[in-house]
Amino acid sequence: MNLLKKIAYLVTFTFLVASCSQDDEGVPLPLGAYENGFLITNEGPFQNGSGTVSFVSDDYLFVENEIFNQVNSSDLGNIVQSMGFNDDQAFIVVNNSNKIEVVNRYTFESIASITEGLNNPRYFVSSGSNGYVTNWGDPFDDTDDFVAVIDLSTHTVTSIIPVAFGPEKLIMANNDLYVAHKGGYGQNNILSVIDVSANILESTIEVGDVPNSMVVSNNDIWVLCGGNPEFTGNETNGKLVKVATSENAVVQVFDFLPTNHPKSLSIDGASLIYNLNGEVFSKEVTSTSLPTSSIIAGSFYAMTINDGKLYATDAGDFASNGTLKIFDLSTNSEIITIATGIIPGGVYFNN
Amino acid sequence: MKKLYLFILFINGTASMYAQLDSIQHLTEVMLIDAKLEDYSEGFELIQLSDTLIARNSVSLTEVLNFNTTIYFKENGYGMVSSPSFRGTNASQTAVIWNGIPINSNLNGQTDFNIIAPSSFNTIIIRSGGGSTQYGSGAVGGSIHLNNTIDFQKKQSSDLRLSYGSFSTINGVFKSRFSSDKKYIDLGIDFISSENDYKYIDLNQKNENGNFDKLNVAANAGLKFRKSTLSWNSNYFSGTRKFSGTITSPSKDSYKDITTRNLVTWNKTYNKWKNTIKGAHTFERYRYYPQPENQLYFEGQSTTYLGDYQLEYEINKDLKISSIINYTYIKSKGTNIGVNDRNTLAAIFLWKHHLNEKLSYGINLRQEFLTDFENPFLASFDVNYTINEYYSLKANGSKNYRTPTFNDLYWNSGGNENLNPETSYQVEISNQFVWNQFQLNITGFYISSEDLIKWQPGVDGLFTPVNISKTENNGIEVNGNFSKSFNKHELNLVFNYSYTAAKDLEKNKQLIYVPYHKVTGAFNYYYKKFSAYYQLLFNGEVFTTTDNYGILDRYSVSNLGFEYLIQEKLFPIKIGIKFNNIFNTYYENVAYRPMPNRNIQTFINLKF
Repeated sequence: MNLLKKIAYLVTFTFLVASCSQDDEGVPLPLGAYENGFLITNEGPFQNGSGTVSFVSDDYLFVENEIFNQVNSSDLGNIVQSMGFNDDQAFIVVNNSNKIEVVNRYTFESIASITEGLNNPRYFVSSGSNGYVTNWGDPFDDTDDFVAVIDLSTHTVTSIIPVAFGPEKLIMANNDLYVAHKGGYGQNNILSVIDVSANILESTIEVGDVPNSMVVSNNDIWVLCGGNPEFTGNETNGKLVKVATSENAVVQVFDFLPTNHPKSLSIDGASLIYNLNGEVFSKEVTSTSLPTSSIIAGSFYAMTINDGKLYATDAGDFASNGTLKIFDLSTNSEIITIATGIIPGGVYFNN
Repeated sequence: MKKLYLFILFINGTASMYAQLDSIQHLTEVMLIDAKLEDYSEGFELIQLSDTLIARNSVSLTEVLNFNTTIYFKENGYGMVSSPSFRGTNASQTAVIWNGIPINSNLNGQTDFNIIAPSSFNTIIIRSGGGSTQYGSGAVGGSIHLNNTIDFQKKQSSDLRLSYGSFSTINGVFKSRFSSDKKYIDLGIDFISSENDYKYIDLNQKNENGNFDKLNVAANAGLKFRKSTLSWNSNYFSGTRKFSGTITSPSKDSYKDITTRNLVTWNKTYNKWKNTIKGAHTFERYRYYPQPENQLYFEGQSTTYLGDYQLEYEINKDLKISSIINYTYIKSKGTNIGVNDRNTLAAIFLWKHHLNEKLSYGINLRQEFLTDFENPFLASFDVNYTINEYYSLKANGSKNYRTPTFNDLYWNSGGNENLNPETSYQVEISNQFVWNQFQLNITGFYISSEDLIKWQPGVDGLFTPVNISKTENNGIEVNGNFSKSFNKHELNLVFNYSYTAAKDLEKNKQLIYVPYHKVTGAFNYYYKKFSAYYQLLFNGEVFTTTDNYGILDRYSVSNLGFEYLIQEKLFPIKIGIKFNNIFNTYYENVAYRPMPNRNIQTFINLKF
């Protein structure tokens, strides 16, 4: 069935290419088979295997798994952690294999493999002519963590910026790079601010414990901190923290209940959306307290919002294929459930 | 002398190589440390592997059992952590019993079959079916018995075997024994070291970070008095292994294991009463080095003290009963499990009755006390019926269990102190046909398990173990053995086949890493001083994901070996060469971990 759809899609695509080339200028050429849809990174089995990337068309009718392998006839590597973009290039961060596979985001044809200069890479963002990748190094060592700087034209690591323990997600805001230090196999509680014009560490900002996700709203960064989990013996509550980029300081803090550990912050217009205790909550950016009632039930491995829809993944037993659920945030109702690869950890949009 | 030696060679080499225990003649002076294994398992299938056979796969216990039994092994790369699946059960449901003492790790419930030196035992016996009544936690699919024997006959001998092969593999085994009609002592040293850096066939990669060194020292001693015997068994193992990478990810971590075991047994017989008192101490410790260069490690260790008193009474020559009181104290500590201990007291009752020449049956009961769990009551019933000289039947049914491990209970983070033991019910029927030199066994089994402990993610994403899974396993095992001699030629053919359907009832899917089909075969040929053998292993496809979406291909591997006795008087010398994976087959036993390409081992064996 999948194959038939694929063939049908390719035929249509070929036809489009053919007809477009005959058309007048002004109608854009299709960029590739994976242009009109979104991509899912699947971490893959923790040991002994390869992660994958799935493609889903905008109308959800066409789903293709293992697209990197389909196009390039090779495996991505062990633990496909995340993906970042620069123009039409996608940077697939493969954690255990210590590499980044660079592909065309629309065709998924391989462009380069970055294998030198990375150690336990986690997340990628680009800014100007550089890409930035958080690296844990040895996850038991608090002192060897860094952000690698990648020259986007040569696809090589040109320098590293040593940072504090456990750098995880990163985000560009107000021309600075903000790195959340979730903390490797342990816990940390800061953001690093990196000046991307000089590639130096500018300052650090103490937020709550275990900052696990961030979004930008106007000139503010909202940081969701999970708090130290119970097993650490030093459990702390989660916090939602607002950092003003103008002064690089915490300007507002919302405390969760003592044993509450929220995760997966995303933003839908003026609504901050996160996952807590098996439910999805929505908080208006301007509201002065945390919401008490949820909008959707479910505990999700990862959540992303795009165009008024919530994309929430379920990793199941972590040893078999997972699923992606899509919800319409105007009605909070489920639109569709789509089968993914093993441990779907991120959803990324191509248009 | 020559004839006698050849006779011994043939007996060891062919007929009894895969002996069903019924056919083994015991010298009266041989003392079995774990006598109850044979006395109270008549309705169970016991298969014994001879030392000749063990020597042909002497690198690891994994290889010995993989090539000679239907037990499936999941080996995380050659020489790395290896765990068995006996009749589709998981690794912690296969008990390993050393001279009657259970030695599965208290930390993870399993035995790593690559840290057991197979040549340090006189016999290895595979007991199919549930054995928890006699052997406690974990004897669900079956149990593997590593036995040393002590015999009081005047003898002095030493044996040195040196082996060198591909991937810079060096193996040395030295065994020496000294015994009289009153005393016995032996010492065995087994050393193996390998770079294990084989090429991945058709890939531009080799097995990185896979080298290992292992040392095993074993000593056994016995004293015989007028009506009693005293014995001591001891084993020390130390191993350092790096953990090889996979096709998709490099690796640099390594593991160090140390185990020690000591057992003292005292037997005294008064007329029809037999007393056996045992005291044992076992110790295990692992250290895991995620980044060896900084010497940071994670550790787990466990110490067990065991006391066991068995009183046996022979009511008449056909009826024997035994009662056993067994006390076990375990103390474990480790980086992630803190310091915890456990007391277990078990009362065991064994009954064996020969109703007539053809029919016998046995009843085993076990009640535990003191544990922090629901104390299980276990029972097993077995029957052995000889229908005629060609056909006999064995059947048994049992209730078995596995206690949660210290990791399951106390692991930080995730451990769950409210776990209960897993429970399992099993029945099997075994048909044995014997016709001249041909022997055939066909066994059907059924196992139903519930409250299986499974680590699963909670709402907060933290993995925690829960008594949740239910499985149902059923299958067929076929085991055949054929021997033929003409002139001075001896032929022996052995094959094993198993069909195993092991279903997770929650998902209604076959369990991962349990093949439906496994085949092993051996063809042995002897002519005067020369012998040759061929070994075959076939593993059917296995599923690598719980939804049965990921599949690992089936494979077959063949080995070919030749041995020659150069000098047989006074100082017998035997030399041999073995070609492993002769067809240079690419295969993975665990996904993304290629196994070795074609390779060679050579050896020389000196007896003096």
